[in-house]
Amino acid sequence: MAVVAGVVTALLLSATVLEGATNPWRGLFAQTDGAQIWMRLAPGTDVRPLAGIGGVTAVAGPYSTAAATLMQGPVKSPLELRAMTPAMPDVGRLLVRQGNWLNSTSPNGVVLEASFAQAVHAAVGARLVIDGLDGPSARVRVVGIADTSDQGFYPDQTPGLVWVLPRLLHQVEPTRQDTEELVGLRISDPANTSFVAQQAVAQLGGGAVRDVTTWTQVEQSMARGDPLLGLLLALFGLVALGAAVLVIASATGGRVLVQLQDLATLKTLGFTPAQIMGVVVAEHAALGLAGTAAGLVAARELTSPLLQGLPASALPAVAPLPAAWVILLGCGTEFCVVLATAIPGWRAGRVRPVVAVRRSLPSGHLSWLARAALLSRFPPAVVLGARAAFIRRLPAALTIGSLALSMTMITIGLGFASTVDDVQRHPADIGLAAALTVSPGELSQAQASKIVYSDRDVAAVYPSVSISALLATGTTTITTLGMGTSARAYPFNVAQGRLYHAPGEAVASQGLLDVLHLRIGELVPIQINGVPVIFHIVGRIIEPEYDGQVLAYGLDTLGQAGVPMPPVYYSLVLRRGITPSTARAHLLAASGDRLDVRQPVDPASQLGIVQMMLTGLIAVLGLIGLTCLLTASAVGLRDYLRDVGALRAMGLTPLQVMTSLVTSTAVLALIAVAAGAVAGTALSSRLINAGAQAYGIGAGIGRAPSAAAVAVAVAVAVGAASVAAIFPAHRATRMPVATILGAC
Amino acid sequence: MRLPLLALLAKEPAHGYELKSLLEQTFGQAYPSPNIGQVYVTLQRLERDGLVRSQDVVQAARPNKRVYELTPTGRDALAAWVEEPSDGPRIRDDFFMKLALSPLTGATDQMALINRQRRHYLGLMRGLSRLAAGADRGNPISKLLIEGAMLHLQADLDWLERCQEELV
Amino acid sequence: MIGQARPLAAGQARPLAASAAGTALLRVAGLTKVFRGDGGAVHAVRGVDLSVARGEFVAVTGPSGSGKSTLLHLVGGLESPSSGEIWLGGKRVDGLSQARWAVLRRRQIGFVFQFFNLVSNMTVADNVELPALMSGATRRQARARREELLAELGLTSKAGAAPGRLSGGEQQRVALARALANRPSLLLADEPTGNLDSSNSGDVLRLLTRVHDQGQAILLVTHEARAACMADRVISLFDGMVVDDAVVFPPLPSSTTAASVLRLGGDHGAGRSSLDPC
Repeated sequence: MAVVAGVVTALLLSATVLEGATNPWRGLFAQTDGAQIWMRLAPGTDVRPLAGIGGVTAVAGPYSTAAATLMQGPVKSPLELRAMTPAMPDVGRLLVRQGNWLNSTSPNGVVLEASFAQAVHAAVGARLVIDGLDGPSARVRVVGIADTSDQGFYPDQTPGLVWVLPRLLHQVEPTRQDTEELVGLRISDPANTSFVAQQAVAQLGGGAVRDVTTWTQVEQSMARGDPLLGLLLALFGLVALGAAVLVIASATGGRVLVQLQDLATLKTLGFTPAQIMGVVVAEHAALGLAGTAAGLVAARELTSPLLQGLPASALPAVAPLPAAWVILLGCGTEFCVVLATAIPGWRAGRVRPVVAVRRSLPSGHLSWLARAALLSRFPPAVVLGARAAFIRRLPAALTIGSLALSMTMITIGLGFASTVDDVQRHPADIGLAAALTVSPGELSQAQASKIVYSDRDVAAVYPSVSISALLATGTTTITTLGMGTSARAYPFNVAQGRLYHAPGEAVASQGLLDVLHLRIGELVPIQINGVPVIFHIVGRIIEPEYDGQVLAYGLDTLGQAGVPMPPVYYSLVLRRGITPSTARAHLLAASGDRLDVRQPVDPASQLGIVQMMLTGLIAVLGLIGLTCLLTASAVGLRDYLRDVGALRAMGLTPLQVMTSLVTSTAVLALIAVAAGAVAGTALSSRLINAGAQAYGIGAGIGRAPSAAAVAVAVAVAVGAASVAAIFPAHRATRMPVATILGAC
Repeated sequence: MRLPLLALLAKEPAHGYELKSLLEQTFGQAYPSPNIGQVYVTLQRLERDGLVRSQDVVQAARPNKRVYELTPTGRDALAAWVEEPSDGPRIRDDFFMKLALSPLTGATDQMALINRQRRHYLGLMRGLSRLAAGADRGNPISKLLIEGAMLHLQADLDWLERCQEELV
Repeated sequence: MIGQARPLAAGQARPLAASAAGTALLRVAGLTKVFRGDGGAVHAVRGVDLSVARGEFVAVTGPSGSGKSTLLHLVGGLESPSSGEIWLGGKRVDGLSQARWAVLRRRQIGFVFQFFNLVSNMTVADNVELPALMSGATRRQARARREELLAELGLTSKAGAAPGRLSGGEQQRVALARALANRPSLLLADEPTGNLDSSNSGDVLRLLTRVHDQGQAILLVTHEARAACMADRVISLFDGMVVDDAVVFPPLPSSTTAASVLRLGGDHGAGRSSLDPC
């Protein structure tokens, strides 16, 4: 039962975190008591009728909002000011992650939304300049950074959100007519959202309502489309389920085996085979139910600390899983238990009424291997113990299978971890060699070029352009990148083939090759700004951005083809040890803040979650594997105990007896773990590459788990199994001899 | 009955009726109660054999009673009887008699009695085993006879152990 | 008298004091074992002295609960005594660690149990060969010894069978073969016929006698007289103490007939009760 509870808890927790990682909106919504419907109204609209609409439980706002712009040198970011009071509302709250909320002692204090703050590189304490529509600008100070469930992440969703005190808003946007009122509605039944929204619009009149957004739109926009993350999590879930099923099967099978004697007694009392099978299945189904319930409760208990909210960078906001999922998981587990019990139950029904348990042991003989080992002075304890592990073939195979599966998953997880680690340390491998991109901004091309080339932090500069091009089909537009020159090409990570060396050569990403049905070495004609160019594809690169559809070549190709050159930006590869923010600061300082320096979005940053999750899942898998191993070893112990008395009489010391008992468990563990490690190592990079290929990123990013990590995992697994087996083994050696000898 | 009477007299002289009630007391309901006539006949025979002698004791207002006591010859006979392991047809009765009367005879301790008898049984068993080993394999009757004897002997030994448990 | 056993004279109660003590294979002095359980202390063995000479066959009998099996376990090192001395082959062994005892059991002591205790998932041949393999014999030696024992005990036809498929008597023979595999100086047998029917018991006892005739020292614990009487000496245990230690003398061959034992006829005093006047 404990096994089932453990498995259920683990599955639920994993599902919860998975859900949170891939769908952050739900977590945020739960934690902020969000509103399902947000409406923008004309200033001065009376919102009181809204509270009376059927299904509406609370109304948030109205909050005045105004459009504005954040001025950072040449960079202008659109934003929306929202006026809120120092008192946090009940509905549609905000989660302050850093700093503080607005308060009246800092009239110029503002709170930025987290994704916006990250995009504009503003931290708590930064001083910013905000320009209103008509001109009045305000100097503000960032006092806090918060999360909200009202709107998707910037820059996918614009404008960025900034919360201010009403006075400040009025200062920036004095004209009432240019403001809007924002109202949020919290409804009791989310299924009724559109209905309630229609009613609200009808209530207030079409003229007053400028815009309505519902939670479904926000949820979709927040969903992370990170393909790498999604891939990893999906794979994990599948294999976790498989391992869970195996574990449950072996645990229940083991239990039935232990009960065989009692079942035989039942038969003598007159139970039919069908009744016995029914008894077995019913008992284990009940236990399974109890275990599932316990697991559900445990998962709930363990999730509530997560619900308090950890720092956004460490863990995404999590919300309790939808009830439907929980029920599905519970039923699924229960079904597994019943299914797993059915076969042992059926076999139990056929047991003879008087079980001569001795006879039920399969006969074996001392294999030549064991004999040779004993003759060559190999410790007899180890040999006998290793033999004992395989007395019953099927349970041993089952144990090895489920443990190996767990180990395979752990190894794949380690492979994932090493891939992520690699990506984080070598961003060039996924096409992010350049840590910064610099546009001239307010400077001229020549001035910008001079600053960039002379900066000490910069290791290499690749002039780049980004032009969309039309495919020969005439309907599809792709992004093409001219990066560096053919002589000095941008250091893409070429998975197949080679980089471009001459004008007219190009490299393409997997997604593009799939879409165009092209292979390396073929020619592709495209039109760039109306000029037809034929490219010879010489290599395949790994490129997670642009939906995996990108073509890259040297800038000189454009010149040769006669394509008018668009504005050039510079992709900078920094020297080792220099962080992008440091280099950025230098460049800005050197240019008097007039250079436009940006950091490309780094998909690797989101992968930090994966590391955390991998650690957690590996731990859970380890526990599951250990439990299943111990259950199996308990059954084996019982069988072996009968021989222990004879062996002791033949001259085995208690230490040797204990060694043999521990060995019988350790041998199973070793075989399973070794098999799992081998399988996992073989599979992990294949798996990742296959997924990457499917997603269009391109094969080649997969890494095998580091040998050291795998060795450690194997050692830990076998060590843990041995240590765990020591306790029952020790107890067995303490049993009085008379009991062992007399036990039949 | 000769030997039980000798054993009873070994403690102290007694006359006929006393001996009869002593016998009844010792053996209780399990044994048929002897009648006084048998007791007197046995006493006379013992006297004739020189193992006891009698004396008339004069009593006022009553007929004279005859008091018997053990002679040295009688004492020797009694000792010889006790020392030898019981054998013969009524082996069990004989041995049990000795065991029951041993507090009175004071001749030896009960454990030694039991040990002697046990050794005798073991020797008999050994002999039977030899017989069985040399027996004609093709003769089931002879085999069964031997096996029956062995089973009886085992039963007697078990009973010996019970006596040991209860009386020692 | 038909059969008699010579009782020990007063001075012979303590065999240890005799000069034979120096050559005794097994010597036990003042052995005590107290089990502490929920119901208080149980004195299983109280101050037992005994000795077994080389090649001697000694039986220990007594009712159940008299401590016979415990005594055997103590002598074989499967239990450790609460007090007392045990000397095996001239060396003191009662204080040895379990590891040392195990080595002794491998080399010098063979065990036969009431419930056979064969290793259930090995064939008969493997069971017999196992002790030799475990104690460092060469492949040839182990194989030769195995064949020798199987032949001696009539098990050659069953060499490849699983123990579970054998009858009780056959299993006990396998156990005996296994116990003798390493040519122990002392064979310890705990109720070897306890789980066997009459004819199988006979077989096993015959085998034990044959082994004894070849010079094996045996210490046998039993509650069956049939087994005990095969020994040279029988020690009777009662309530954890020795009450008798005697040599068994079979009766004169001519005077033993089963019929006489069964009182079916012949011999003196037939048909009369001791209480009858005579």
